[in-house]
This record gives sequence, C-alpha cells and structure tokens, in this order.
Amino acid sequence: MEVLPPFWTLVETHGDELLIHARRLAGDQHAEDVLQDALLRALRAYPRLRHADHLRAWLYRVTTTAAIDAHRARRRELPVEEVPAAAAPDAYDDGSFEALIAPLPDSAQVALRLRFVEDLDYEGIARQLGCSPVAARQRVSTAVRTLRERHAA
Amino acid sequence: MTPLSPELLESVAAAAVREGLADALFTRVSTPIGRLLVVQGADGIVRVGFEEEPEDEVLAQAAAVTGPRLLASDRELAATREAFDAYFAGEGDPHGLPVDLRLVRAPFRRQVLEELQRVGPGEVVTYGGLAARSGHPKAARAVGTACARNPVPIVVPCHRVLPGSGGVGSYGGGPRRKRALLELEGALLPTGSA
Repeated sequence: MEVLPPFWTLVETHGDELLIHARRLAGDQHAEDVLQDALLRALRAYPRLRHADHLRAWLYRVTTTAAIDAHRARRRELPVEEVPAAAAPDAYDDGSFEALIAPLPDSAQVALRLRFVEDLDYEGIARQLGCSPVAARQRVSTAVRTLRERHAA
Repeated sequence: MTPLSPELLESVAAAAVREGLADALFTRVSTPIGRLLVVQGADGIVRVGFEEEPEDEVLAQAAAVTGPRLLASDRELAATREAFDAYFAGEGDPHGLPVDLRLVRAPFRRQVLEELQRVGPGEVVTYGGLAARSGHPKAARAVGTACARNPVPIVVPCHRVLPGSGGVGSYGGGPRRKRALLELEGALLPTGSA
C-alpha cells in the first residue's frame, strides 16, 4: 500500500480549492464552517483509508457531504413560519436559482448546483459525488425532470 | 484564490486536538540560524528540520512513526515555540522539552543521543568522550553517525560534540550553524575575536 501523506500536506495543497467548493455549495456565510467540519470528518476517517489514491476527489466528496449535512441542520433549525416555499436560504447570491431548487431533496440540489452553478461536465460531477458519470447524468436529469413537473403542476 | 485564513486552520487544529485526532503537530519557528520545522507527537518532539530540508520529506519522516494525521498549529505548540525563542535569546535550553527518539532505530545510536541529552549548554564533549560515556570507548565513528543522523538537532544537542583533533567538525545543519549555536551558548568565542 502506498503510504498516506501527512494530512496537513493535503490541507496546504487543496485547502483553497476546497474552500471555493464549500462556498459554491453552502454560500460565503457558511463556507468556513462547512470546510472546518469537512476537515475534521476527513481526519476521523483518514487512518482508515485503505489507499492513497484520489485523495483530492475524496476531500471534495467529504466537503460535499458536510455541506449537505450543514444545509439540513440549518433547515431543521429554522422556525416553521420562516420557511415559505419560495424563500431561498439567504446565504446564496443567486436567489432565484436557489429558490427554484430549494424544494428538491438535498442530493438533487447538489447535483444541479454542480451542473449549472459550477458548470461541471458529468465526469466532473461524478468525481465530486463519488459515483459513475452515468449515475451523475441520471441524477441531474431526474432533478431537472422533477423541477419541470413541479412547474407544470 | 483566497488562501485559508490562519484562524480557520488554528480552529481545525484545536478541534482536532480536543477530539484526539492529531497524531502530531508541527510549527515553523524563525530563529537566527534560519527557520526550523518542529514536529511534536504525544510523547515529545520527533523531528526538527532545518530550512533547506524539504518540508514534505521532514513531515513524511515524522508521520512514518507518529501516524499520518499531522497538523500545523502555532497555538497548540505555543510552549514549544516559547522554549525555542528563549533558547535563541540566550535564556534557556530547549532540551527541557520532551523528546521522542522513535525515528532512531539503531539501539546504539539511540543510546548515544540519550547520553548526549545530559550535556548541557556551554559544555562540549568529544566524539570519543561521548562514545566512552555510551559504554563503547572505541565507537567514536558510530557516535559521529548517530550525531549526523540526529532527527532532533538543537533539542538533542549534537552541536556540542566536537572532534578530539580540534575545530568544530561537521554538523547536519552545516558547520556554520554549529559554530553559531556554540557561540550562543558561550562554549566558543564569537568568530573573529580569537
């Protein structure tokens, strides 16, 4: 087995881009909290990793998961009267897009953001989500179809 | 790109230490003999690297014995940093700091470095003398190797070991640094005053 690099080497190499990733997923206001949570999650799992391949992609996935969990936790914290259907989480600049996708499940929201905000291709989305490109395409298209159906209704 | 803020990084390190997730911590200390990279595990300082040693290599060497979860933190290592600062200000000796000699695999080399920790600032010893103290009077050469490969220079003071034939001899960090450390400790007169 290839030896795992010292953890901080990864942080110093990829920290910047992970923060940008966290910003895209969670907004400026929550990005640093998300990244901190992600790095602690990564540290907990690090000694159990069985190989040193794809560590950058792995960190992206951990950050994505941390962003989804943070989003869920924030939603649970909101008092009910403050969640009208059209209200976008105020952390996002692009209120209209976020308002549009807000009713979807978190995993569908992430897939849509990766595709339409980060403008990644399916290979890229697959890397971030840790699935195959086919599955990534499926997730995006299912999410788009759900949106269409909601709007048609 | 925006680099990560020192606050964020310190906060990650502090949380990791609280949760017992850090195998070792490291910090970069500015000194008159250049920047030192100090890596400290649960049992003490594992590795001190000089400026010209590639950081990745120094960290990887330390990680091989402590585990891979190395984190940078000036704050968590504040006491260690102060000890180095005090030493370079001529006010103390970093060998009050705990040392972990796990990177020294050969038993004799480890014994030599343990013996060397008894040689205080201002004192010097010859390679042969240290060999004798370590129980092998004829092993001056092996003592030289032990010093040359000392993973924790300054903290374990291999700069205090001199050739019996005179001069400062060689040093892992270069003879100039060895001389500077000995001058700082008052074991040598400053260059040019002799």
